[in-house]
Amino acid sequence: MWNKKKEQKNILIVGGFHKARSLATSLLKKGYRVTVINKDYEACEKLAEVTRLNVIFGDGSKKYILEDAAAGNCQVAIALTDSDEINLVICEMCKQFFHVKKTVALLNDPSKTNFFYQMGIDRVVCALNMITNIMEEQAVMDEMTRLIPVDEGRIQILELPIPKNSPVAGKKLWELNLPKEVIIGCILRGDQSLIPRGDTRITEGDVLLIITSDKSKLDQIKELTEYAAS
Amino acid sequence: MGKRNGCTVIAGCGRLGASIAGKLSEEKKDVMVLDCDKTAFRKLPYSYGGLTLTSSATDMERLEAFGLADAAAFIAVTDHDCVNICAAQIAKEMFHIPKVVARIYDEEKIALVKEMGIDTICPSELSEKEIANYIEIGGGTHVE
Repeated sequence: MWNKKKEQKNILIVGGFHKARSLATSLLKKGYRVTVINKDYEACEKLAEVTRLNVIFGDGSKKYILEDAAAGNCQVAIALTDSDEINLVICEMCKQFFHVKKTVALLNDPSKTNFFYQMGIDRVVCALNMITNIMEEQAVMDEMTRLIPVDEGRIQILELPIPKNSPVAGKKLWELNLPKEVIIGCILRGDQSLIPRGDTRITEGDVLLIITSDKSKLDQIKELTEYAAS
Repeated sequence: MGKRNGCTVIAGCGRLGASIAGKLSEEKKDVMVLDCDKTAFRKLPYSYGGLTLTSSATDMERLEAFGLADAAAFIAVTDHDCVNICAAQIAKEMFHIPKVVARIYDEEKIALVKEMGIDTICPSELSEKEIANYIEIGGGTHVE
């Protein structure tokens, strides 16, 4: 963290207004140097009100605008326009022409995620996927304490408390017959956290940190601990 | 899906897209034209006998459902450079279509697709050549 502050990373944000402004503000607070490009003049004027923020007015999908924004000195480029195609091209240009180390693209259509990665973009953020995941979690999974999607929801980490009278209380891990897509990464017991082994015994009041690569196994986990019944 | 073997897919039914589609259809070749705006297909000639599909040129799920992988050539001629680049890259890298051409207005973007084996057509470059040609030959006699 301190290292990063010292070398003062330069970050370029292309497109977006509200997203760009809040992202830029947050990055500036953390000590990064931030440049935003926007092709709407009024948006640029508003963005320029943020102190210490460099604002460039122009079309970020043009090479000379990226040059003006000194894309070559940036370590990170973030494309936030409304168009998937434009975000792709911006990231490709930053990568190929300006050798930006890390490119991040906002994506609307989740089916293009793999294609974007294949084209060499370092991080693809699919807002739609994230929002639906969070909504689903809030709507359906609220009986579980917390569910954290990782890697665009391919991996789920969840906290599962073991209630009184749970059938698994007092059992050893290897006796649980967990599906192979599921592992218990950690057991929180009181104020200590245990890295469990096969012969670790689960007791009432434990909170299991469960990692799973298959969402459909969540029901099986719930059944296993009969959390729903309690 | 089906036997669309060897067909030509044209993304973007503008003046250029529609006229290429019309010519190919006249030559009895299999053609499919994509455009996200279905009123764009009005520009096709009456005699056009190929397929039309109302879809974005970069909608991979729909393109896959329509068997894009079987196409022999893909021509990206929408009026947005970025869409053409993205569509051409999808056609080349995801569907492995042998011949892919993209129209790119901005010369500086040509390098993005060149090394992928995607051919490019740059209208300003072509006009430049033609005009240089015209000046050299000396107008009058040539224009006729």
